[in-house]
Parts: sequence; structure tokens; C-alpha cells
Amino acid sequence: MAALTSEAEEKLQHDAITDPLLEGRDISVTFGRGAEALDAVRAANVAVDGGEAVGIVGESGSGKTTLARVLVGLQRPSAGEVRLEGQPIFSAGTEQRMPRSERWKTQMIFQDPYSSLNPRMRVWQAVAEAVQVWKSLPGAEARAQALQLLNAMGISDDQARQFPKSLSGGQRQRVSVARALAPDPKVLIADEPTSSIDQSAQAQLLNLLRRLQSERELAIIFISHDLGLVRYLTTRVYVMQKGDIVEAGKTEDVLERPQHAYTRLLIDSIPGR
Amino acid sequence: MLPVIDAANLSLDRRQAVGIVGESGSGKTMLCRALIGTLPRHGAGIVSGTVQFDGQELAGAPERVWRGIRGREIGYIPQSSLAGLNPVLTVETQLVESITAVGSLSRQQARQEAVALLEKVRIPRAQQVLKARSHQLSGGMRQRVMIAAAIAQGPKLLIADEPTTALDVTIQREILSLITQLRQELNMALILVSHDLAVIEEVCDDVMVMYAGASVEAGPVAALSKAPRHPYTRALRVSRVDRAVPGQDLEAIPGDAASVGSWPAGCRFWPRCALADEACRRDSQPALMPIAQQLSACIHAERMAELEQ
Repeated sequence: MAALTSEAEEKLQHDAITDPLLEGRDISVTFGRGAEALDAVRAANVAVDGGEAVGIVGESGSGKTTLARVLVGLQRPSAGEVRLEGQPIFSAGTEQRMPRSERWKTQMIFQDPYSSLNPRMRVWQAVAEAVQVWKSLPGAEARAQALQLLNAMGISDDQARQFPKSLSGGQRQRVSVARALAPDPKVLIADEPTSSIDQSAQAQLLNLLRRLQSERELAIIFISHDLGLVRYLTTRVYVMQKGDIVEAGKTEDVLERPQHAYTRLLIDSIPGR
Repeated sequence: MLPVIDAANLSLDRRQAVGIVGESGSGKTMLCRALIGTLPRHGAGIVSGTVQFDGQELAGAPERVWRGIRGREIGYIPQSSLAGLNPVLTVETQLVESITAVGSLSRQQARQEAVALLEKVRIPRAQQVLKARSHQLSGGMRQRVMIAAAIAQGPKLLIADEPTTALDVTIQREILSLITQLRQELNMALILVSHDLAVIEEVCDDVMVMYAGASVEAGPVAALSKAPRHPYTRALRVSRVDRAVPGQDLEAIPGDAASVGSWPAGCRFWPRCALADEACRRDSQPALMPIAQQLSACIHAERMAELEQ
């Protein structure tokens, strides 16, 4: 059961957006069956508007990554559906994958930049491949676009010729962003993108994400266990605990006047408080 | 031969807690290994400098000497110790191993000792946990077991290398307060390594900041937090999101951290530093010098105010 207090529920209604760009409706994900069944996500409702930055916070095992994987079409929900621009594009109970014509609109970057890039591909190739897949461009043009994207992320032509292993964690994560931006998506889902990179690289990446959000009107769903990051980057937030969304609302309100005990625990656990 | 640390300095008194902060590749872990004599296992060694513990010189000491120090006098929680437990052995087998490495306890006594240790690190149902294998334990529990093993022989100093990095924030909070409580109960000194200045500020009295294998600033946590005297320390503070205003850019350090094998000549931080001038590029890595209440390796330490506008 989603443990929303009536006040939090009211706030959720109040802050809900009427015509969202991307929406997950009553999403449930159950792994296994019978006595072994595990509800990773229970009847979650999430939405993001065009150009908006929302956060999903919670600890390991709270279901936030599973929910994100449903939204990008990597994980079929056990119940519920994903809607993009008002149209259902991915739902429980069918065999159909998310249609290719919709898939490009939502892209994801992952927690670990060390494992999310192919070690045998040069940096520019990894991005050019994404450009080719999504835009069906000839090799030379795909390469030019890849380099342009990489430059915009602060990766030089020289670094683009390297293999991922000679780049730092922060640089690799910026390569992942370039790759995700190849199809010119409308939503970027970032799953703990800063948790395995250094602090000085973290500030660079966050500035970059903010710039993309404002300049490209890119919607961002930012997944993190770090409320400090979420406070800085997002205007609305969902708090997840053990598969349930336990609190949702404007980031400022949720952090200043948390209604749920779990949200308060998360806030009190921030180092330095 | 590739230098990975050059010019690192750290000292602490009995019962004191000192943090080491720095980014990946800055040499934090290598420094820890130098302090517990395990550099040779990683194909490295101390070329110059000294390691003194309780008045005893340990740099270059033979393994025989280190065996009497490591575990017994200095407890160590290695980085990514969540993977440090052997998956096929029970907690009991592994804990008893760290207890009886020196002592001559009977099996029965050792088990009692192991239960007492688990209770010391606030593990409920210690008897049951003794029978468990690591995959049956949560990350927080595994870290408690690792701490239990590290303090098994009542060391005078505990070195914890990124003990909370892979843990959730709520568990991090629990582990940090456990470490603090144990320090007081056991009169231990502590060296806590972290890439997160906020974690160190919460637990430690003093902090030493490392950049590219060198100590760049050291002193009381409060002094470094109020008035840092090295541009890198300042940058670590101002680039933090918890101090940032939503909607405004973070003050990021430009460029990338100098990596091992490609340290720049001169002060290693100069390519990323707004105060850098000809002298910084020309002279070698500056040594720590006293200024205000701390030590700084910046030749422009008195010009820090220029960075604030």
C-alpha cells in the first residue's frame, strides 16, 4: 500500500501537472511469483513536464531504478502503463516493446560510467554509433555530429580519439551524456550519475545537466539517494521507500516540511546536518 | 618507477581523529597502505620519508615487525571492504581468525569473544549472525562485521578507508556514529579516508587534504572549513551542492584532476588554479608551511581572499 498521508496526497494532487510529457500511471513491477514474489514498485504514479527537472529519491532497494527502467522501456511493468505526450506507448499485459518511433524520446544515463561504455570502442565511436542508430546518417556525418556533441560536453577531439579507460570518471560520464543526447531526446533519465565520480567532476556534470535542461528544454528525471543533489537540481520530487512512493511534491516543500517519517530520516542523514 | 605519493605528511596524537580527503588517484589509499606496511603487496614501496608509530620507526621494517603491528596495534578497514568478507566462510570463521591470529584462545573462548565483538559493533542477534555468510547480510551489517574484525585486538589506531562510500545515507549515518562511539569506548585514534569533506567534518578533529600525491593543506576541521588556505580545499568546499543556490551554477573546479604519471611541473594544482602565476609553474610542489591555524602548501596562501568575489 502506498502510505501517503492525506496532506501529502492533497499536495500531490495540487502539484500534479495536467498535461505531462512523460507519465507512468499505476506502475507496478513484481519480480518472481508466488511466495517468492517481490514487489519492486507498487502502483507508482510519476510524471514529468517538458523542460522540467524532477527527482526520485530513495535508498537501494526502494525501486527507483526499476521505475526508471520502466519509463525508458527497458523493463515491462506488471501493471500500469507509460504514456508519452498523452499516448500510451508501453504497458503491462502485451508482448510489444516500446515502439522505436517513441524510444528515442527518452534516454538514460547510468550510475557507473566505467561499465556503461564499451571498452573496445573509441570515445567518438561510442557516440557516433548512437548517432547512426537513431539518425541513420552516413559514417562521416555521424562522426562529425558525435564530435560536435562531445565538444559541447567539454570533451576535446583529442580525448574523443581515446578509449574510455584513459578518461576520468567525470569525463566518461560526460561521454555517456553525449551518447544519450544523440537522438535529441525530450527526456533524460539520470540514475545516480554522480555517485561514482569525484566531487570536482560532480559540479561540472551538474552544471552541464542544468544547462541542457534550460537550453534544450530537456526534461530531466534525476534519481538519487542524495537529497542535497535533488534539492539543488529539481523542482519536484518523489520519495520512494520499499517500492512505494511515500511522499511527493515541490522539492522545496518536501525538504522543508517533510510529511513522512522516512523523508525526515533521509533529510537527517545528510552529512553535515 | 612511477611516483604515486610525493610529499604527504600526516601526524596524529593518541585518541585523535584525522581525516584524509582527496579525489580518486590523489594517493589516499596508497598512504594508508604505507601506514600499515602493505605497499609491497601492491608492488610499491617507500622510497623516502618515515613512518613512526608510538615512537617506533616502521618505514622499511621487515614483514615480521609489521605482523606485530598490523591488526594488533593498527586496525584497518580496507576500501570496498563490503566485498572483503570471504563469501564461502561464515562470519564466525572469519572473526575467530582475526582474534586468534595472535592469541591462543580455545575454540570456545574465541567464539565467546566473537559474540562479544559483534555486540560491541551493535549487531543484534549476534549468535545468528555468527552463522551467516556475507551474502545473507546487508551492506551495513557487513561493514559492522568488518569493523568488528578491525578492532578485534584492541588497536590503538583504526584506519578506515572510505568506510561508507557504497552505503545508503541512513546507513552511512549509523556507521559514522558507531565509529565515533567505538573510538571513545576503546580510546582509539582514527584515520578516516573519504572523498567527502562533509563526512570528515562530522567525525574528525583534524583533516589533511591530498591532491595529486601531495598534502596541500592540514589543520583543525573548523579552521579549514571557515577559512581554507589552499585554493583546492576552497574549491572542494564551494563546489558542494548542499551550499549551492538552486538555479545557480556551481563553482566547479575547471579541468580534470592530475592523474598519476602526468603530474604537471611546479605546484600540481596550478593548471586548475585562479591564483597561479609564474612562480607556481616554475618552482616545485611547495611544502606545507604554517599559516593561521593550519598548514598550507600554497605559496599564495595569504591571497585566498582574492578568490571570493
